[in-house]
Amino acid sequence: MIAIDEPTISDVHAVVEEVWTSFLGSDEPIQIGASTETTSLVDRLMLDDDTWTAAITVTGAWEAMILISVPVPAAGLITVGMLGLDPAEAETCGLEDLTDALGELVNIVGGGVKSLMPGPSALSLPLVAQGAITSTSNLEEVCAVDLTWHGHPIRVSIDVPRTTHGIGG
Amino acid sequence: MLILVVDDSRVMRQIVIRTLRQSGHGGHDIVEAENGREALELCTTRSVDLVLSDWNMPEMSGIDLLESLRERGSTVTFGFVTSEGSDLMRSRAQAAGAQFLIAKPFTPEAFDAALNAAKVG
Repeated sequence: MIAIDEPTISDVHAVVEEVWTSFLGSDEPIQIGASTETTSLVDRLMLDDDTWTAAITVTGAWEAMILISVPVPAAGLITVGMLGLDPAEAETCGLEDLTDALGELVNIVGGGVKSLMPGPSALSLPLVAQGAITSTSNLEEVCAVDLTWHGHPIRVSIDVPRTTHGIGG
Repeated sequence: MLILVVDDSRVMRQIVIRTLRQSGHGGHDIVEAENGREALELCTTRSVDLVLSDWNMPEMSGIDLLESLRERGSTVTFGFVTSEGSDLMRSRAQAAGAQFLIAKPFTPEAFDAALNAAKVG
């Protein structure tokens, strides 16, 4: 088996930045936050109902789960921004719009990250949930990028199966 | 001209419609579908001039939609707007009869270039 170099923090940041600029404008750029260290499992379990998480999986030559976690106010801003609405119109957005926007966001970020990796591989349909999304499979986090947007923390992380990560041959 | 925008995400359909306008291709009639199956039905009942379709969708994918249209003899101009922008996907799209593929995230300039190359007003 050939070892696969996982995406780096700068790779992921470049993808996220391009997605943010294209769909949410460049007035408020998304910036790498103070901490770029991989979080511990304890930190991840602290994601609660004040957080929305969107996830998508990649299967094929490269296998991974890509997750985006955002606090509720940022989820609202993302929804309003992607729909092209004025923030004052936020009340017109429902839960369906919010999950739709976050799902599409992780879909596009996932597609961008997938394009950096060996193929062929395919994206799943996205999954969006309030709180944390955890997988029952044997995944480990190999990259986590902490970002700040409108003062809110945004986290993009990549989990890969333990069995395929770091095994060379 | 009648443009059919196909995506299971309402948010993305709105972004595509907004980007059409920003790229100088506004002013056309727009119809929307949530998946390939719905789009296929619309193509049989309406005189659609351009299909802009996502790739991954529940019910019926964009590539299945395109193949179904071509099997039925449709020559409608068809472009993918998808996060699946790899060379493999582009080749598969072209082989199935797509005129272009716009990868997400996109810009109005990318829309303009793709539509002009496909000679879409």
